[in-house]
Amino acid sequence: MRGNSNTARPTIFIVDDDAAVRDALKLLLRSVGQAVETYASAQEFLEGYGEDRPGCLVLDIRMPGMSGLELQQKLNEKHSILPIIFITGHGDVPMAVEAMQAGAVDFIQKPFRDQDLIDRINQALEKDGANRAALGERNDIRRRLETLTPREREVLDLVVHGKANKVIAGDLNLSQRTVEIHRARVMEKMQASSLAHLVRMVLEVGQV
Amino acid sequence: MTLLRVAEPQEERAHRLEREFQAVLDAAVDAVVLFDHEGRIELLNHAGERMFGYNEQEVIGLKVNLLLPEPYRSQQDDYLRHYIEAGEPRIIGIGRELLAKRSDGSEFSAELAVGRVQGTDPPRYVGFIRDVTVRRNAEEALRRSEGQLTIAQEIANLGNYVVHYDGKFEDYWSPHLYRVLGRRYGEPYIGVYDYLEQMVHPSDRARWMQARADLHSTGRSMDIEYRVLQPDGSVRHVHHIAQTSRASDGRIVREVGTLHDITDRRRAEDEAKQMQDRIAHFGRISTMGEMAAGIAHEVNQPLTAIATYAQACQRLIACGDSSKEEIAAALDHIGAQALRAGEVIRRLRSFVKNREVRRELLDANRLLDDVLMLAQTDARHHGVRIVLQRCASAPQVQADAVQIQQVILNLVRNSIDAMLEVPEGRREIVLRTDIDAEGDIEFMVADRGTGVDALAVAELFNPFFTTKPGGTGLGLSISRSIVRAHGGKLWCSANPGGGARFFFTLPAVPATAGG
Repeated sequence: MRGNSNTARPTIFIVDDDAAVRDALKLLLRSVGQAVETYASAQEFLEGYGEDRPGCLVLDIRMPGMSGLELQQKLNEKHSILPIIFITGHGDVPMAVEAMQAGAVDFIQKPFRDQDLIDRINQALEKDGANRAALGERNDIRRRLETLTPREREVLDLVVHGKANKVIAGDLNLSQRTVEIHRARVMEKMQASSLAHLVRMVLEVGQV
Repeated sequence: MTLLRVAEPQEERAHRLEREFQAVLDAAVDAVVLFDHEGRIELLNHAGERMFGYNEQEVIGLKVNLLLPEPYRSQQDDYLRHYIEAGEPRIIGIGRELLAKRSDGSEFSAELAVGRVQGTDPPRYVGFIRDVTVRRNAEEALRRSEGQLTIAQEIANLGNYVVHYDGKFEDYWSPHLYRVLGRRYGEPYIGVYDYLEQMVHPSDRARWMQARADLHSTGRSMDIEYRVLQPDGSVRHVHHIAQTSRASDGRIVREVGTLHDITDRRRAEDEAKQMQDRIAHFGRISTMGEMAAGIAHEVNQPLTAIATYAQACQRLIACGDSSKEEIAAALDHIGAQALRAGEVIRRLRSFVKNREVRRELLDANRLLDDVLMLAQTDARHHGVRIVLQRCASAPQVQADAVQIQQVILNLVRNSIDAMLEVPEGRREIVLRTDIDAEGDIEFMVADRGTGVDALAVAELFNPFFTTKPGGTGLGLSISRSIVRAHGGKLWCSANPGGGARFFFTLPAVPATAGG
């Protein structure tokens, strides 16, 4: 585990079989202050990449052995959220379309203007940051949910379904006072600022 | 002839002469006939009886011209009469050839000599008749055979000669040899090499001199094709074969040779070859057309690197946060990548350029290396890996580099197309050079594609047969004719474990010829 995913510095991962293109890209991205790692093949990247590392993947669509598209598929199977920018040649539009349908954030044709690539990379990094933040928040909510007792969980479920305390007391065969105490504990443990916040958090992790 | 016998009585001598005369007559191979001034036969010897089928007794007193058919029969009378009237001593002549007639009426070739018996009056004559049927037949056969030979030489446009070095016999030129050398029949003969000396094409001269020297020094036969300049200025191709025979001391006694005018054949061959070269060139252009996307990609790679390096340099300079070394290194890369793009274009150009076909001594592995860049271009574009397996002994071949590369590239392209449906991980081509059981150089292109359909194998090398949409169906047909023109063969077989293997061979070049 490589530290907290929310705070680690994003890295641009370049996968291209052409050494010159790889090296030139590395120099370009270094010139704008980005952290860069280069890989000569899809296989090499799969072996070297830790899934929690933030950043984005700049991926050549055509490579001997495992192609860019195949690598994308493998990452998808692993539920990777790393955004992918494909580098394509002329006449690779059908492949680019396929890549976009499989969830790539963008593609760019060779040769390209440096600013176009840098802009796309920045957008991808922004998206990755947001994705990872959202992912982090959901993980927090899940952790908080896990701290609830079974009785508190029962109360929570009924609360988010909009039931009043009196109804909940009747359903669970408890006193209204006891329900109020459980409800206060739930709000505290879930760090909810309001009932609306609580509902939104539970919906966020899909546990309604 | 006078026989000198001393002290022999007159009568005994006459008897002895009579017996000797009879013995001579009996032993004679020729027919001998004696006749008088009116042509009446007085004597016919045994040989004459056998030759004409008469008994001597039957013909005595009959006219001698019964031994001749017309018109000789009447002529004989005229001759005799003329002789008697003119008194010319040799009018009947010696060794005249005519037809004679047997008792059964059949005729035969004969040589006739008639002479007068000296000291007789009225004159008496003796005739000698020789049956020359066998000789005449042999002569006739020889004439016919010579005539046929001349016709055959005319048809073949071939002449032959015999040169006698020991001076015992006259040199021989067949009539058609004059024609082959652009001379008129009957021109004075000055020796075959005296003619050729002036006629051999300057470009072929060294080779011709060498072959001639070898013939005379080594005793091996000469077998050489060269050009001659005819007296009328035209250029002809001749095939010259010659052999020598030697005396026991090694001296050359005789040289026999043939000169065959092969101009027409050579022209037809040259035209066929030019046509084949043009088709091969067409094949290369169409291969390049099929590879256009891959080639564009291959040029695009260095261009991308160049653009990116240049833009990175600008940024590094602008932000001031870079070393001179870093910029210099990037500029180096830019230069190298520009050359790389240029190299793709250069190889492409040299592959499709219409050029003179030239066979050179080449390293078979170099051929593979040289074609690899173009092959990789296409392979990379289709996610195919190429594995090289070079023969360790670096065999040499005599070949036109571009044409052989065309064959390899064509096979690689087919392999790539055959693998488009298989998963990328399996897309692999093995390029191999090896030496086969006969010592020839064997090239192999093996793939993991769909393989060759058993039904397609028979048609695979036919022109216009194709299994590819948009294919010309010429690739394999052209490849096979290129390989055949190089003296090799091209075939395919299944690849154990799936796919196809294509092989072709080129004849090995002996190491000594490698220089």
